[in-house]
Amino acid sequence: MEERSKTVEIIRRIGAPEPEKISITGILKSHDLSFLLLTLPPADDPPAAVLRLLGSHGVNIRFITLYDDSPETRLLTLCVETESLTASLELLRSHQASLDIRSISHHPRVRILSVYPYKERAQVAERLLSSLRLNGVEPLAVNNASSVLSCVLRSEKFEEALSCLDHVFELP
Amino acid sequence: MEHVESLQVFPLKIARGLVQLSFLGIPNRPGMTRPLFDLLNRQGVAVRHLVEACREQATSDLLICITREAFARLQGELHEIRARLQPREFVLREPVAVVRTLGPHFDLRPGTSGLLLTALVQAGVRIYSNATTITSSSCVIPEDQVEAAERAIGKTFLLPGAKRT
Repeated sequence: MEERSKTVEIIRRIGAPEPEKISITGILKSHDLSFLLLTLPPADDPPAAVLRLLGSHGVNIRFITLYDDSPETRLLTLCVETESLTASLELLRSHQASLDIRSISHHPRVRILSVYPYKERAQVAERLLSSLRLNGVEPLAVNNASSVLSCVLRSEKFEEALSCLDHVFELP
Repeated sequence: MEHVESLQVFPLKIARGLVQLSFLGIPNRPGMTRPLFDLLNRQGVAVRHLVEACREQATSDLLICITREAFARLQGELHEIRARLQPREFVLREPVAVVRTLGPHFDLRPGTSGLLLTALVQAGVRIYSNATTITSSSCVIPEDQVEAAERAIGKTFLLPGAKRT
């Protein structure tokens, strides 16, 4: 791991050859949100029930990723308004057994950074993710639902993430 | 089934004939997924669906959908890349379809995502993965369940051309 970090540091100092910037139309920046990560059994009912429960209590969900992260587990990540975090956690914990929620973790302050248009371009995903990781910004979750590619980032890393993007994307 | 305030959606966008590749538990390191995206970019392969997250800090999970044709063409290279990524587990699903629901402002109306997923679950549709942001939600499902998914979404949301009730 240390060897890898040294290599990354050397590349950073001497400067890797800079590839041409990719033209995009814009970057969307969310306000502060809260991030929830739930592990569930590998079935479709529990995630739907979690979303119904939160929705029925007026919790607005701005970002979702859902998939099987092993044969035994589904991972559900959500972004909710920060003012809904406490209520959401209380709700989920009070229904943890009945909804078969195996674990709940959270980050209180995150922001979503979205670039568009994504247009299903592998190059856009590669530049976005590599530039963030090369600069020590690890996304908590990434998805593309339409023409935007979105990353959930810890709020304290958000400005750093934006400056990373300056080097790889060209805005009009 | 609930048909709440007839939330209108734009035409569903459905992409069929896809393969979902799930690289689960990739050890985190800078540029780890670069070889994969570089290959797809060089070969002009569109990434129809992308989800990445991680349960623990040391690893990440990456799920992508590409066409079956592209997968067949690049199978050898993808096999090599899989070895380089060193995932804890690799899952291949085919044929799958991506059903994209646009319009009902998932980000502003509490409960919209719940409505969508519940409609699909009640119709017996298996959701392999879901990505939702802003006005759009994208589900990867088995290709042979597309019609069931369309019917379920049509009963829950107001599709273009349908009469408002």
